[in-house]
Amino acid sequence: MKDHSASPSVRAKALELSIDLEKLAADLDKRQITLDDLSPKQNTGRSQVADSLSYWDVDHSLYGDVQIQATSKIDRVASDNLSAANTVIPQVTHQDHADITAIEALRGQFKLEAKKRGVKLTGLAFYVKALAHTLKKFQKFNASLSSDGQTLFLKEYVHIGIAVDTEHGLMVPVIRNVDKKGLFTIAAEIIELANKAKSRKLSADDMGGASMTISNLGGIGGTGFTPIVNPPEVAILGITRTETRPFWDGEAFVPTKFAPLDLSYDHRVINGADAARFLAELTHVLKDPRQLLV
Amino acid sequence: MSNHAEFLVLGAGPGGYACAFRAADLGLNTVLVDPRATLGGVCLNEGCIPSKALLHSAEVIREASHMSHWGIGFEKPSINLDKLRDKKESIVTSLTSGLAGLSRRRKVKVVQGTGTFVDKNTVEIDGEEWTFDNLVISVGSAPISLPGWPDDDRIWDSRDALELREIPSHLTIVGGGIIGLEMATVYSALGSQVQVVEMGSQIAAGSDKECAAILHDALTSDGITIHTNTQVVSVNTASECIELTCDGDFTGVIEADAVIQAVGRRANGLKINAEAAGLDVMPNGVIQVDSSCRTAQPNIFAIGDVTGNPMLAHRATHQGHVAAEVASGHSAALDTDLIPSVAYTNPELAWVGLTPAQATDQGIVVKQTSFPWAASGRNLASGGGDGLTKLVYCPDTNRLLGASIVGRGAGELLSELVLAIEMGATLEDVALTVHAHPTLAETTAFAAERALGTLTDL
Repeated sequence: MKDHSASPSVRAKALELSIDLEKLAADLDKRQITLDDLSPKQNTGRSQVADSLSYWDVDHSLYGDVQIQATSKIDRVASDNLSAANTVIPQVTHQDHADITAIEALRGQFKLEAKKRGVKLTGLAFYVKALAHTLKKFQKFNASLSSDGQTLFLKEYVHIGIAVDTEHGLMVPVIRNVDKKGLFTIAAEIIELANKAKSRKLSADDMGGASMTISNLGGIGGTGFTPIVNPPEVAILGITRTETRPFWDGEAFVPTKFAPLDLSYDHRVINGADAARFLAELTHVLKDPRQLLV
Repeated sequence: MSNHAEFLVLGAGPGGYACAFRAADLGLNTVLVDPRATLGGVCLNEGCIPSKALLHSAEVIREASHMSHWGIGFEKPSINLDKLRDKKESIVTSLTSGLAGLSRRRKVKVVQGTGTFVDKNTVEIDGEEWTFDNLVISVGSAPISLPGWPDDDRIWDSRDALELREIPSHLTIVGGGIIGLEMATVYSALGSQVQVVEMGSQIAAGSDKECAAILHDALTSDGITIHTNTQVVSVNTASECIELTCDGDFTGVIEADAVIQAVGRRANGLKINAEAAGLDVMPNGVIQVDSSCRTAQPNIFAIGDVTGNPMLAHRATHQGHVAAEVASGHSAALDTDLIPSVAYTNPELAWVGLTPAQATDQGIVVKQTSFPWAASGRNLASGGGDGLTKLVYCPDTNRLLGASIVGRGAGELLSELVLAIEMGATLEDVALTVHAHPTLAETTAFAAERALGTLTDL
């Protein structure tokens, strides 16, 4: 007995189109195959991805010893999310770098205060704060598209997701209402959420609903990358390692600390010029954190 | 003078003529060959259709006699056998002449004769050679004669029985399959004392056991004697009656004025010199084909009874269309195992798909649900007797996998379930489909509701 079913007319059409219904049912993960499933124009993203899955059906042991490891549930959830994002969203990555001399100076000045409060004031807290500030000015980046692409939801809150690398897999806890919080509170929450993620203690409330996500690889390395937008958000900010570069200040080359920034965005919602303006504003705020007061 | 056909169909039964007509509709120059003077093969001339005409008479006789319980009495019917035979033959004639008209309209050339292969592109039809591009073997099947039985006018096959030569006062039918049971129904109603001898443990082999038992009881209460698990070990035609010595659940001698052999049919594959075309024929006469009805020769197709079981006209018709389409360059196949079976007895027994016993044999886990016709208002109000509608389904998905119905008009009721199974319907689909009340078809929805716990009629 077959696991799938298809009406006689669908079976006749499948025969005519040389479609193996059993394979199609498995690829589509469907129990009942309809005429629509056979039509190439209906074969949008998902089934094309599924159809090409055979490329992975390789007996690797033919080429040498292999260990077999099951993927974790967290990995699979992330994998589905990333596959959907990469298939559905036309993504562009815009790159810039921010002069963080002033931020580094501020961190130094706040060191004593931070110690008193028992908080480690990281550079990331500044990025989060600056990003929230920029999002308030660029409403389109703080938005989500409906699945049918007909409606844009503009968010009146600013929540920032932080991609956290744990031994169990990638997780993205969210700091709520960043625009209404001070640097020390943000820094404390980042550490608290990261610890919760590492000990797998994140609750459902700790995740979801972000305006944008930050993926910070600054502590590890790299000069740039192309992060994938985390749906249903429309943009993601990637940060790689800060480097000191010569900067011509009009009179001389000055050694200056720059953080490379990579902004991937959903081109259905955001245009290239918007992205350039957004990143220009963000680098401006990072270079001159006094703007946060304005 | 050479004869050539683009598409040649050997045998004009329900598969053959459907195939030829479909091929002609698809634009092929088609020749249809049959030894009979009329089209329609066994089914139309000496099988399905004449037997239905006689079964109708049997039903009217039985109905009329049962009306005495309703206070309506009829005289014992007088039976004019010649007139009944004429009526049956006029029905057959009207249908066969209709087919002749259909073939003329399609410009299908009909050749009367018996075809045998010369090579894979040539057949000889009564001494005349015909070449062909594509050929379809639809030469059907013939009743099996029991080995060692003497030649005797009183020993009939189904064809002889349908000729309606006489109404024997004592008739014995060897074989309790569909054909045997239909003959029992006819002759019992016409006045014969009928006994059925069946080798297997149940009548209508292959059908649902519970439904077959209901039919068995109904036939018995109509005066037919049925011996299951019984074999005829010897036949004596020397005396005035035929004496059948039986062994098994019934051991003893049955005396009969006539005997019908109804022990199955044998495919006619060995009668056409198929080896000359490079075709393998199995010892039982069957020519094997794939789902596109292709034989081992790419230009030769086979359809219907000659391709084996189930030997049923509706399977042949569908195969005929497939062969014509494939030969015309289309992709087609008989892509189903769902070939319904119907015994047009009284009551009728109809089934399709898996029975619980077949599921067990095949290691498939199924559940069954049923609705007894004793609880059907329409059945009681129409004077119907016992009946049952049974559904077999997958316990995980509730998808229907089989259905069996015993009761008046079961053959008509079954089609809903064949379609349901083809469409992948679940019990819920059947239960939520509004069935008219009061109908016998309701019993199908009731059976589904019973399994779902939503039935309020029981």
